[in-house]
Amino acid sequence: MVSKRIPRLGIGGPVGSGKTMLIEQLVPRLVAKGYRPAIISNDVISKEDAERMKSGLSVKKGLLPEDLVVGLATGGCPHTAIREDPSMNLAVINEIQSKHDELDLIIIESGGDNITTTFSPALADYFIYIIDVAGGDKYPRKGGLGITSCDLLLINKIDLATYVGADLRIMERDAKTIRGKKPFAFVNCRTAEGIDNVVKYIVHDLLFEVPPKNLSKRGIRNA
Amino acid sequence: MQLSDSFFPTGMYTMSNGVETLFYQNKIKSAKQLQTLIESCIKMQIGVADCVALGNAMDAVSKSDMKSVIEIDQTLYAMKLVKEIREASVRSGIQLLNCMNSFTKNNLLNKYKTSVKNGTATGIYPVAFGVVSSISGISKINAAQMLLYSFSVSFVGAALRLGIIDHNEGQKIIHALKPTILEASKNVNEPMQAIWQFFPVLDIAQMMHERIENKMFVT
Repeated sequence: MVSKRIPRLGIGGPVGSGKTMLIEQLVPRLVAKGYRPAIISNDVISKEDAERMKSGLSVKKGLLPEDLVVGLATGGCPHTAIREDPSMNLAVINEIQSKHDELDLIIIESGGDNITTTFSPALADYFIYIIDVAGGDKYPRKGGLGITSCDLLLINKIDLATYVGADLRIMERDAKTIRGKKPFAFVNCRTAEGIDNVVKYIVHDLLFEVPPKNLSKRGIRNA
Repeated sequence: MQLSDSFFPTGMYTMSNGVETLFYQNKIKSAKQLQTLIESCIKMQIGVADCVALGNAMDAVSKSDMKSVIEIDQTLYAMKLVKEIREASVRSGIQLLNCMNSFTKNNLLNKYKTSVKNGTATGIYPVAFGVVSSISGISKINAAQMLLYSFSVSFVGAALRLGIIDHNEGQKIIHALKPTILEASKNVNEPMQAIWQFFPVLDIAQMMHERIENKMFVT
């Protein structure tokens, strides 16, 4: 059976951990493979992230239409907007889906929040939680639902580790301990280090290696 | 109780109904001012427009008259002058219908949902609330009180998060609003010909909200 639901990728993490920059690195790579994404950016106090992605990814790079980057205010409740009451996100998704059945995935960025952030299963099919080394190497072992339950844990800004006294070996050890067999990865969203690996996870675990719609229609297999 | 609970997922916590604008403009600074604003909004907009539409939608549903439900839906939508308010109300209404449909199967609910899907109705919240209240066997007066109470809590919640009031002041305001809510809920028995709304100060604040760069709320 073919589902009409467009796969949804949720990206959560604390304020300043690199959620927006991760999307800015992912989208060009996904588009290069032929996938067509839309972005919903939940923000706690502004639409700055959405405006930045609209300007960078849509206007300057032409990777997706401007109307497919949507900013959403969350009433000061970022975790409620993606978990307890995702109504506004679901409403926007329905509006996007009704107009753009050509899309391959919808990326939902959470507003900056704490380590208990999780996405409602009704909202996201795959959940990436991103933290950064500047919060200290204690972060992975602190746990919290975001860190323990996400499908993929990313540890960002690894180039800053030496400057903030964070030991990546400790973070790796603790991430393995607390997440068991669930994957995690180190990334540097500024230099794109590790991003291709994240794309592989998304294509394999969220999109199930299904070719992009616009390529499959033309009988072209995914590269 | 379930439908009027702030835990019920309709996204109302994302709405300030213009309070955010008035706060940034230093035009609302005290609990008393906030209470007066909410009372005025109930008397000049929600009571005399939303409650009237709610009651007539419930009457129409009780007669299985979907044509009238759609007309009421379109009339109320046309009366919402501010784009952000219209969009937020429609989004909340549609999510209310979807959530209700997840645990209640009803032919009229389905018909209204279909009308929204094919664009003949909008799904604006008070009418959607009327549809789900009617099929749930809730009386018109109770439904109106639930609608007004939810609106008041949403308003007070926004003010609380903006730091205009504290948690005790919030509860005092809700308590003080009860007579206004009870009086305004009587509008639920008015015919559609009696529907009106006029609160330009709040309309302007809500329109100005659309142009605020950094904001917490969708309205």
